[in-house]
Amino acid sequence: MPRCPVCDADVKLDTTPTAPFCSERCRLIDLGRWLDEAYAVPEKKPQSDEEEGDE
Amino acid sequence: MSDESQQADYTSADLKHLSDREHVRERFGMYIGDNTSRGLHHLVYEVVDNSIDECMAGHAKHVSVIVNVDGSVTVEDDGRGIPTDRHPQLSEEMDREVSTLEGVMTVLKFGGKFEKGAYQTSGGLHGVGVTVVNFLSEWCEVEVSRDGHVWQQEYQRGEPTGPVRKMGTTSRTGTKTTFKPDPQIFPQTKFSWDILARRLQELAFLNSGVRITFSDAVSGQKEEYHYERGVVEFIEWLNRSSDPVHSDVISIRGEAEGVSWDIALQYTTEYTENVHSYVNNITTTEGGTHVSGFRSALTRTLNAYGKKSGIYKDLVPTGEDVREGLTTVISVRVPHPQFEGQTKTKLGNGEVEGIINSAVGDYLSKYLEENPKSAKSIVQKGVLAAEARTAALKAKALLRERKGALSGGGLPGKLRDCTSRDVEKCEIYLVEGDSAGGSAEGGRRREYQAILPLRGKIINAYKSRDDKVLANEEVRSVISAIGAGIGVEADLGKRRYDKVVIMTDADVDGSHIRTLLLTFFYRQMYQLVAAGHVYVAQPPLFRVRTKKQTYYVQTEEEMKTQLLDQGLGEGVFLPGDGREISGEEMQKLCRTLSGLEDALVALEKRGISLRDHVARRDAATGKLPMYHVYYGVEEHWFTSRDQLESFVKTKEKSAGGELAVGRPEEEQTDATPGTAADTGDDQLVVVDLHEVRSINAGLKELEAMSFGTEALLPQDRTGSEDPRYRLRRGDSEIGLEDLRSLLSAVRRAGEKGLSITRFKGLGEMNAEELRDTTLDPANRTLLRVTMTDAAAADDLFRVLMGEKVEPRRDFIERHALDVKHLDV
Repeated sequence: MPRCPVCDADVKLDTTPTAPFCSERCRLIDLGRWLDEAYAVPEKKPQSDEEEGDE
Repeated sequence: MSDESQQADYTSADLKHLSDREHVRERFGMYIGDNTSRGLHHLVYEVVDNSIDECMAGHAKHVSVIVNVDGSVTVEDDGRGIPTDRHPQLSEEMDREVSTLEGVMTVLKFGGKFEKGAYQTSGGLHGVGVTVVNFLSEWCEVEVSRDGHVWQQEYQRGEPTGPVRKMGTTSRTGTKTTFKPDPQIFPQTKFSWDILARRLQELAFLNSGVRITFSDAVSGQKEEYHYERGVVEFIEWLNRSSDPVHSDVISIRGEAEGVSWDIALQYTTEYTENVHSYVNNITTTEGGTHVSGFRSALTRTLNAYGKKSGIYKDLVPTGEDVREGLTTVISVRVPHPQFEGQTKTKLGNGEVEGIINSAVGDYLSKYLEENPKSAKSIVQKGVLAAEARTAALKAKALLRERKGALSGGGLPGKLRDCTSRDVEKCEIYLVEGDSAGGSAEGGRRREYQAILPLRGKIINAYKSRDDKVLANEEVRSVISAIGAGIGVEADLGKRRYDKVVIMTDADVDGSHIRTLLLTFFYRQMYQLVAAGHVYVAQPPLFRVRTKKQTYYVQTEEEMKTQLLDQGLGEGVFLPGDGREISGEEMQKLCRTLSGLEDALVALEKRGISLRDHVARRDAATGKLPMYHVYYGVEEHWFTSRDQLESFVKTKEKSAGGELAVGRPEEEQTDATPGTAADTGDDQLVVVDLHEVRSINAGLKELEAMSFGTEALLPQDRTGSEDPRYRLRRGDSEIGLEDLRSLLSAVRRAGEKGLSITRFKGLGEMNAEELRDTTLDPANRTLLRVTMTDAAAADDLFRVLMGEKVEPRRDFIERHALDVKHLDV
């Protein structure tokens, strides 16, 4: 079962209008984090190659 | 009602007595609030409260409430019973024999509650109690069991219809009151089961141990309320359909300066605050000093813990934040409660605030210290609430900004928009880097292609490493350029482009920005992704120039294959045994080696050298081991499932049962086999070296071409003799130390006559190159992002975001190994 990116609750993607979040509130928290530049990936990473979801 | 001739005969005491009753009947609002349903039910509460007082004083255990068929109500307890003997003071005042029972039923402000010590902290409506109920009833009947006898008296509209009568003998004690509300006072006299049930259950929660039975003679409905754990069970009941954040209900009880408290609380995942506060069993809807004392202690204690434990970063939750999801019951008993407020349901006693504040603060800070797991969940809940509050403000500001954008002129300054407004044909390229953005702008089809350059912003979040984020203005630019909005209010009909194309460099930085963007789209523009509007561009990695033409190669693998094909040409391989391998045979050899190469690299990535592994090969079949097995301190290598199985069978026999299986993942990234024992002595850990399947297959093919496994291994040689193998091309010859180096030699040969440029980034391509390879719909390759892709990006993002560095490294390394096999 997919989990809400903010609160980790189980989310039924096809029946939840706020998918992939459990609620509008968690979506807002996520948006707030993007706007706050709180989401970061490490600039220097340990290994050379990695898999991406789009490949 | 008044009769002047009669009134003249009354003594002054009689006059006062009469006016009590009349006063209550005319000004019922002062006593029971109103004559609506609320006041009607209040009558029952008044009588029940007296019984509860008996229970709390330790004289009664059971209260029964019955709604009778005629609409009257009977309340019965097994307490001491109201005294029925003569009351000297009253008898003297009224100049006749008056019992205490009659006094209780017919004289206002007469009762045990005003005697200090009779009831320490009783409820009831300020002592007016059952007298008022009697005055407002069409009829009322009281039956007292006491001193071995049953006594009884009846009243009509508050006036006794006769004296207190002795009915007979009994061994039990208690008071039984039956009354029928007066329709002259109450327009509606029907009791509601639900309202009464709720209050009776509430009283049972607030007075642990008391057993309250409630039945309706008409419907036959019957309930029993009895809670030994009191308000703790109240909380459990209130939270019965919510998810608690911590499993235990926190209970705070005590007494100081005559004030006692019984408080319980628990946090759930809900977003609202659920407070039930009481003073002497009376609901304090408007709160008061007991509630404010509790609240300030809660905020102070949680914030102190949050700061101390480092859970609070820059955001400090407010009192409201820390109460989000809180369910609490605050029940206090105060000797002389003062009620204030509109509905007189607010406790005014100032001293209570400080008493509750310090009691709750002391208990809670101790609780947090002793229960770090619950403490963390509770405090983090407050942080999330604070975050939600500020996020909502930011989202509102963003919305305002976007509305401004819709009314014109609000598109991001960096956007190079296309000229057409035909959404179905329009595309937007989100391009990594300003210089690539410039090239893209030069190479685009202006009519249909828009360019928005983006940059990852580097921040130094931790001392040890730099982090890359999508800057605030980049996020806003993306949202407003796409125009379809975000979240549930997103409207795909308003999107400004049909394709949103992410174009990033083919390096680590590029993949990070791509992951950030995909994650953002997946989370905030879910519909856009679901409808298939998001794409990833595939810019080439290599530019190849020959004398005649220029072409582009997308991937490393493709480039390698091309070079191999090119280099094979007229190359002749001299293995040193007199053979000359060329043409088709050479092609076959190189293809076999090429297939082996990735598998060998994968094996070596595990820290296993080919030379060591060859030494472990099965003597009979010549195959290399595929399973690396740890069992306790033992370490084994097996070349087949059969071998592995027979080993397990043997061990099961000596262990006398099935073996515990450990997790091989932890071992995969750990190159030193010696640490295997750490996983536990009796665990069976099997590492499947899947790449060995390809290696074994490759070795077999090589053998068919008369090359032994040792051909792949460099040999110890003095260096003075001729090279072991040679590759001849035309006139030139190259010496080779082992078969593995044949491939790179052939590829190097393939590079002859070619000028190969590896693009380090999009910025190295000029406008024309970018157009030919990545922008022009005729030549470009676009990958449509599926929901699965986006969800995978979100997963990867979560791992990258993860606080712990170790699991992240493991994930990436494990992933890197797997990728090799997915690609084969």
